[in-house]
Amino acid sequence: MVELAPSAPGHRPPPHPDGEPLVELSDLSTGYERTPVLRNVDFTLRRGEFAGVVGPSGSGKTTLLRAIAGQTRRFAGAIKATPRAGERALRLGYVPQVEAINWNFPLTVGQAVLLGRWREMGWRPWPRRHDRELLANILDRLGIGHLANRQIRALSGGQQQRTFLARALIGDPDLLLLDEPTSGVDIKTRHEIMHLLGELNRAGTTILMSTHDLNAVATHLPRLVCVGEGALIADGSPEDVLTPEVLRRTYGAEMLVLRRGDAIYVVEHLDDAMTGESEETPLPATPVGG
Amino acid sequence: MGDLTDPFQFEFFVRGMVAATLVGVLCGAVGVYVVLRSLAYIGHGLAHSIFGGAVVSFVSGISFYIGATLWGVFTVLLINAVARRRQIGGDAAIGIITTCAFALGVALISRHGQFTRDFDAALFGEILGITSGDLTVIGGVLVLAAAVVFAFWKQLLFTTFDSDVASTYGVPVPWVEALFSLVLAATVIASLQVLGATLIAAALVIPPVTARLLTDSFTRMFALAALLGGASGLVGVYVSWFINVSSGATVVLLQGALFAVALAWAVARSRWPGTGSGERLAAIEGAAID
Repeated sequence: MVELAPSAPGHRPPPHPDGEPLVELSDLSTGYERTPVLRNVDFTLRRGEFAGVVGPSGSGKTTLLRAIAGQTRRFAGAIKATPRAGERALRLGYVPQVEAINWNFPLTVGQAVLLGRWREMGWRPWPRRHDRELLANILDRLGIGHLANRQIRALSGGQQQRTFLARALIGDPDLLLLDEPTSGVDIKTRHEIMHLLGELNRAGTTILMSTHDLNAVATHLPRLVCVGEGALIADGSPEDVLTPEVLRRTYGAEMLVLRRGDAIYVVEHLDDAMTGESEETPLPATPVGG
Repeated sequence: MGDLTDPFQFEFFVRGMVAATLVGVLCGAVGVYVVLRSLAYIGHGLAHSIFGGAVVSFVSGISFYIGATLWGVFTVLLINAVARRRQIGGDAAIGIITTCAFALGVALISRHGQFTRDFDAALFGEILGITSGDLTVIGGVLVLAAAVVFAFWKQLLFTTFDSDVASTYGVPVPWVEALFSLVLAATVIASLQVLGATLIAAALVIPPVTARLLTDSFTRMFALAALLGGASGLVGVYVSWFINVSSGATVVLLQGALFAVALAWAVARSRWPGTGSGERLAAIEGAAID
């Protein structure tokens, strides 16, 4: 591990706000058909939190999200959710990976977003005035108000994410689950999406997202959960979680962690860093083991 | 002029034309969901399977409609059960079960050679042999399909677009799929006498695919597919009278011709985008200003 400067207290909000538990996974083993993908998971998400799930491909990040969404088979343990008063289940806003969406499906942005409100729209196939007003509000809020009649396949990467974020938000969810929302988008769009999610969280939305992007996304989140080989390896603030030891156990590879003030950088290509081929580092590095 | 109205003096012809129109509308509308879920093969398979059911019900002396309905629903449930095994997959499950059901029908016919002629209608359609009882069944299935589509428009749309995500938003996906399977089986049974097992798949697939080439809106695609299906049924049967060709084959060939025209139009539009009315107008206006 390389530490460039003593880690200063970050500006991120505390990882465990004092909200009531929204979802509690206790000793959960879950997966698909006959195969558990995640084993013995203990995890609690409180109302108002913004947490990220990191780990290598196939480690169980999406399975963790899908388990909370009730889409996996439970082999052992329990999932407890606390819905709002008067409701039987949590209201979920699920944003799948863009790769999983059928972009050739004949849907406009407005039609796609209104699917997230199918229950509230009553028996009619068509939206009422209130639904249309709500749709206009949510699209305007996400900066895609002018795209309501555009085909979903004619959208840019950022517009695609915003569309499916709008579908998740229009149902007034208790919990927003996002599967790799910054995958395959450019730097500017990634920044805009993260800014938008931060705003939503500050407005009270609980968010759990998976990401493979350690430096540009994970290090900026208040709370991180590391998943590796079907188990929860670590859970806490990025300062606590992003250590070479945890990263080695999560990814099965050696990585360097550089700290400067409250900023954290994970050097994923250790060979490059050790041979001086890495990006220029702002301060001399001091090896501290790991 | 008298020649053109000649066929209308025969009640059996009028009945056949009404039946072909209603079946065209029914298959066109139901086919939208079949095509968008990439299940074109199931229409083909189910029609052949239900042919087996028709033979079994004839041999065992029960009503064709009751026997074929039970057989159709049983086949769909069996396909769903087999397809759930990941190492088999949906297309292979359809291939195995429907061809076995068809083979059972063929085996029974060959064992009882004297039945062979009676099943020509089920295989190739016998539109001019439609009875008022058949018309009642076709009308009833059309009303059932319309009621299901109207009442479950949003659930069907969400499930067709993305069944995994639909269930995270609370859509009862297994029930919606079971209901759709029932409507599909009923559609195939009602269409068997008109088009025959060999041509039903075409009526389920061609009008929706043609409509998809002409529009990017789901609602318009649905309406266009029903319209194209109904119109080709009406015109196809009428034309078949004069050219002395099998009615079912004429209907399907007409649908094929409409598809070819739509495809040519779509190709021209994508190769020469400037030929679109909007771009052409803009170009003319631009030239005038310059």
